[in-house]
Amino acid sequence: METLMVDRVHSSLRLFMHRNAIFLCERLCAQFPSETNVQLLATCYLHNNQPYAAYHVLKGKKLPESRYLFATSCFRMNLLREAEETLCPVNEPNMEVPSGATGHYLLGVIYRCTGRISAAAEQFTQALTLDPLLWAAYEELCILGIAEDTDECFSESTALRLQQEHTSTPTLVKSNFANENRVLSSRVSASLGDISPKQIKQLHANNIAEVSGYPHVRPTALHVQNSSTSNVAQFDTPSPTAAQTSSIMPPPLFRNVHVYQNTISGDAPTKQKANGVNQPLRRKYMDEARLKKVSGRLFNCDSTSIPRRSVRLKDTATNSNSNTSQFGGNGTGHSSGKLRVNSSTPSKLCSTAIRSVQVRKGKPRATENFDEGSRYEVIDEMWTDNISGTSSSVSTADGRSFEQDKAERILLQDSKLALGIRELLGLFRTLGEGFRLSCLFKCQEALEVYRKLPESQFNTGWVLCQVGKAYFELVDYLEADRYFELAHRLSPCTLDGMDIYSTVLYHLNEEMRLSYLAQELISIDRLSPQAWCAVGNCFALRKDHETALKNFQRSVQLDSRFAYAHTLCGHEYSALEDYENSIKFYRCALQVDERHYNAWYGLGVVYLRQEKFEFAEHHFRRAFQINPRSSVLMCYLGMALHSLKRNEEALEMMEKAIAADKKNPLPKYQKALILLGLQKYQEALDELERLKEIARHESSMYALMGKIYKQLNILDKAVFCFGIALDLKPPAADLAIIKW
Amino acid sequence: MESDAEEAAAAGAPGAGRLKGSPELTVDADMREMAKTAAWSVSSCKAGNGVAALRDDNLDTYWQSDGAQPHLVSIQFQKKVQLQLVVLYVDFKLDESYTPSKISIRAGDGFHNLKEIKTVELAKPVGWVHISLSGADPLETFIHTFMLQIAILSNHLNGRDTHIRQIKIYGPRPNPVPAQPFHFTSREFMTYSTIR
Repeated sequence: METLMVDRVHSSLRLFMHRNAIFLCERLCAQFPSETNVQLLATCYLHNNQPYAAYHVLKGKKLPESRYLFATSCFRMNLLREAEETLCPVNEPNMEVPSGATGHYLLGVIYRCTGRISAAAEQFTQALTLDPLLWAAYEELCILGIAEDTDECFSESTALRLQQEHTSTPTLVKSNFANENRVLSSRVSASLGDISPKQIKQLHANNIAEVSGYPHVRPTALHVQNSSTSNVAQFDTPSPTAAQTSSIMPPPLFRNVHVYQNTISGDAPTKQKANGVNQPLRRKYMDEARLKKVSGRLFNCDSTSIPRRSVRLKDTATNSNSNTSQFGGNGTGHSSGKLRVNSSTPSKLCSTAIRSVQVRKGKPRATENFDEGSRYEVIDEMWTDNISGTSSSVSTADGRSFEQDKAERILLQDSKLALGIRELLGLFRTLGEGFRLSCLFKCQEALEVYRKLPESQFNTGWVLCQVGKAYFELVDYLEADRYFELAHRLSPCTLDGMDIYSTVLYHLNEEMRLSYLAQELISIDRLSPQAWCAVGNCFALRKDHETALKNFQRSVQLDSRFAYAHTLCGHEYSALEDYENSIKFYRCALQVDERHYNAWYGLGVVYLRQEKFEFAEHHFRRAFQINPRSSVLMCYLGMALHSLKRNEEALEMMEKAIAADKKNPLPKYQKALILLGLQKYQEALDELERLKEIARHESSMYALMGKIYKQLNILDKAVFCFGIALDLKPPAADLAIIKW
Repeated sequence: MESDAEEAAAAGAPGAGRLKGSPELTVDADMREMAKTAAWSVSSCKAGNGVAALRDDNLDTYWQSDGAQPHLVSIQFQKKVQLQLVVLYVDFKLDESYTPSKISIRAGDGFHNLKEIKTVELAKPVGWVHISLSGADPLETFIHTFMLQIAILSNHLNGRDTHIRQIKIYGPRPNPVPAQPFHFTSREFMTYSTIR
């Protein structure tokens, strides 16, 4: 009965019937109280977004998986100290961090949230070593600014290591599916040591696929926590790509499982416990692994199913071929393709099995998808590319008998595996390099790297958002607008980069488009901080700073670990001249992310206004150190230096700014100002003349020229310049100054 | 009827005429409300209709004075500010004899050295009455002051006490880019002028 219950719980979870799962699991724990069952119950609670229940249930448990689940619940409830204590107990420094790479990742995130950057970096590096395909860990390292070169992280040696991990597990029959699964297995992480040799390759690959999904799920789950999108959505939207891949696999697999579970009851539970897996998904597959292990006779049982399988294969192979190729080209569309393939399979059991597999496969990918935009769709597409390559081999494998071609297939699989691993690592290398460079604000290089991606990868929400961000940092708002718009159109539900997009529209003064974007985002997800940031930017553009502030504060409330929301609040307070509060918010932003140069800049501006020039210079310099390419920052640093009367350095900084970005008129203007201060009137005038060619319609420029002429007592020219300045309609304050 | 026509004619004449009030509050975009952090005080008030009613953005609540004329509303700022416009909301139809008719605006450093800068007369106003503080000279677009005092010298129909429903004070916006002598107007300059 216990196995039956466990199975039902898993299938409920798989099909998102959380309350059903919880109910069953509670009965299970009441009847068979064991730590594994309690872990399962905790998992159910976590899926149902009740971390406090999981916390309560798991308190005090000592098994590594329990500790990991407990730490996750603590993290979700914001009890960082307890989470850390569980993962890394102070009294027992030698206790291993549970669940390998993901445990290290979670610990790293906790360290980052509590401000211990170097410890966090260490943990992330550790996680990445344990599982080179744990993108989230690499991403965190990039954000901390200390990621190493992707060529080292995702290098040839890593590829070899991954390959070894797969080939160490022996092959079994059923290599029909094994081909794709080989490819799928290329995503594996190292934590599969406990799979026994006797497993079917396919099953093994299943496991691996799921396991690989798992580390991505957990950290992305946490990452979601960090990046503030709503929790529930993590587990939605299975990707159709997954459907494609899984469609070919497994009806027989599941059938075997069911058969097995009917025949054997005693073994499985113990094996399950031995596994100690956290995710029910992974667990289920591990269970099957165990089941398969004990059942060499499965194949004998299943001889009747083989012809059906091959028949089905023929059916689905053609379908999936077309589907996958279609999918490969589709970019990020979340179509409901999965059910399409379903309909082709004859037996009801198989179709439900397929659906369940799809869903199961879909789940980890879905979490990844949702969390990191189409980053994983990127990887999914990679899968489909690989699979469309191998599905043809699958269909050809139909006619042959298994035993004969086993050896051949193993060799084929090995090479496919190697190829798959290298391709995936290659993709990671490109994406990782691009991301790392854009985090270091080396935007031109980042753009070049991103352009190396194949078109299918490039036209995905995540990549396009990253490209947009790179242009944004380069102050090329028109290009940024173009890319963000494309990203939003291609994947309207990616909210991650949309706060930057709203800022781009703010800079471009596009009131209508900004309000449209804001309304769209709110309608997509009312609980996402990016949407509220967009709304706030809308009001800020209209100079309604108080409403903007309210919206930004909502955004902060929704996710206090979203640094940009704090910075925007700071900007609004600064505009309202409430400098104390603005300093407070900028500091909050810096607490969340020390490399958020906008907050450093904001602080610099506040101090500049308060005439605390030393402080201003210090803060601008910090911002400049983080982002050494921004001409605007250089300009401001120069302004601060000018206020400090360090005019030589100021001029130098202005020169640098002018060189950094030819299109930026401001450094030239500031340079003219400084020269005016130094009483080098003629040079200032020259500078302004040069500037006139670029920016013809700037009233302040003519006003400044007028002022200089007045100083030089060339009154007629002064009048002339002031006249032009007035024509260009400056605001009232200037009018007063100009009309003498 | 004739008196209405007279008033209409009188209101029509600019400058020397009497202000009528408009239903909308129209303020230039380059001005902003300045008195949020100022200290407001009144010479007298009836219980329940105190000074807070002047700043609550609610046109149904009003301040009612309760003493001898002139009734005074004093606004003290934390530092010297540039002011450009004073806007009052009054309603003759609702308040009749409580509606102010002659208003004097004074400015200075404190209660001891206030000097009158403007006097206006109102003619049965309904709505927002805009009182500009600028002089004729462009150099006098703004007044720089620590304190502003609005004195109600007389009411319509010789009423003793007065009702005012809302008061707003406007001045120029500060330059979004710090430490600049002039504002930026063109898009190119503004795009590069700040980091957000």
